[in-house]
Amino acid sequence: MRLERLLVFPILFCLGCKPPSPAEQMDSMLSWLATARMTGEGWLRHTTPDTYSRQTLEMSGEKIDQIAADLLRSPPSGVDTATLDSLFTRSRVRVNAMARLIAAKNAPDFGGQLDSLGADEKRVKQLADSIEHKQ
Amino acid sequence: MKKILQITLGIVTSVGGFLEIGSVTTAAQAGAAFGYQLLWAILLGTICLIFLVEMSGRLSAVSKHTIVAAMRERFGFPFFFIVLVGMTLVAFLVLIAELGGIGFSLQLLTGIGFPWWAIPVSLLVWLLMWKGTFGLIENGASLLGLVTISFVVAAIKLHPDWSGVAAGLAPTLPQSDKAHYGFIAVSIMGASISPYLMYFYSSGAIEDKWDESYVSVNRFIAGFGMTFGGFLSMAVLVVAAMAFQPRGVRVDSFDQSALLMTTALPRWGFYLFAISMLFACFGAALEVSLAIAYFFAQGFGWSWGEDLEPSKDARFAFVYTIIILLAAIPLVFGIDPLKVTIMSMALTAATLPLAIIPFLFLMNDPVYMSKHRNGWISNSVVAIIIVISFVLAVISIPLQIIGG
Repeated sequence: MRLERLLVFPILFCLGCKPPSPAEQMDSMLSWLATARMTGEGWLRHTTPDTYSRQTLEMSGEKIDQIAADLLRSPPSGVDTATLDSLFTRSRVRVNAMARLIAAKNAPDFGGQLDSLGADEKRVKQLADSIEHKQ
Repeated sequence: MKKILQITLGIVTSVGGFLEIGSVTTAAQAGAAFGYQLLWAILLGTICLIFLVEMSGRLSAVSKHTIVAAMRERFGFPFFFIVLVGMTLVAFLVLIAELGGIGFSLQLLTGIGFPWWAIPVSLLVWLLMWKGTFGLIENGASLLGLVTISFVVAAIKLHPDWSGVAAGLAPTLPQSDKAHYGFIAVSIMGASISPYLMYFYSSGAIEDKWDESYVSVNRFIAGFGMTFGGFLSMAVLVVAAMAFQPRGVRVDSFDQSALLMTTALPRWGFYLFAISMLFACFGAALEVSLAIAYFFAQGFGWSWGEDLEPSKDARFAFVYTIIILLAAIPLVFGIDPLKVTIMSMALTAATLPLAIIPFLFLMNDPVYMSKHRNGWISNSVVAIIIVISFVLAVISIPLQIIGG
């Protein structure tokens, strides 16, 4: 009984030390892409203020960058790293551009970037599903 | 007539004061990640809170002791000191989170970063404590907190699948991500069953000079007030499940949670969320600061009372002054209030036995409670829920902390 108790914490420790899986990282990526899109839609509808929208898009860009770096450091097997890299880079550039367009109050260009971001998000979702399926 | 008014005001203030940063954040995270599946945790937490708050008021009304004073008297100083250290640490983290929540709401409304708000907000909280009365803190902040009812409006406007909502009230395990699920369940319990609320309520009963004739008033207030308050938390979860889960948004930052009501209430949702959080966190910050000061003053036998001039209870005033000042420091340096919130809620659940077990002894002690002692139903419900939350905490907190 005592031995079992002693073993519980090392087991929990080892389980806890496990870094986030590629599927979990893809979920985080999707979450920030969706956040950027929701924020963008809100700004276009004039339901979220400029400062908040810009700050949230900047934060989304940073998070996308961070998750992409982590994910590409140990990429999921069976997925083309170059494809992932270019998709993430494109998304990050779009999100950052959207933040700048808010400062310039350029709604038409912003709308275009938002639509493209939606397409990127769909592509990331497909990749996330295929990674989860392989796991 | 006076008692009916008191009951009404008590229920209204319980509803207005129910939500705070912990309950909003944990419910939003739960809905975003697991849909309606964690509604049961709010239900369990609310049931437990109804029992605990009712007991807190009954103890004070019958024994004329606050929980802390009775605990110190019944179990002696060494035991009281252990509880004091544990509860103060957890309540201090909660205070940081609440002050951070106020700062974050102001950041949403003004665009000025929350660290800049740490000092002005702390000063305002302190000033209200210094100049205000118990009635002002209890009723004023809670009445403003009624704006949180907007979460219910948002939930109804989203037309949730009510059969799915009902199914979420029964505990089930998710297909994956079990550690995260357990951790959020624990955090919800911690957010619902905050011991500081018991200390605040029991001290309030003494401040309001309750006696045995208030036992039934107390039962109404605890029962209805907390039930309606629990509905508010459930509404937050439902809104997150409808607005965030289908889009894959997880609540990893306060900035994301600000979008919570924009789907249901496009025109006002953003501002209603910010104002709701502002008032809810402001009320909670006042209550936590008071609860910590009550704990020290009642345990060490100092004079205390929010209605007294600070010169008449200098040590009581000193405690809340220092604690508010200390809580502002990490926020000035930009500590993430969301991380503090989640960690403090989980730690609250883990330390619940420390607060509740001695309380259960008191509630069964004929010296304090005479004929108003606990029945077996009250004892069993609270004991079962405490065991559940403690076991969940012991399992999932290490996983979540080490796994980051």
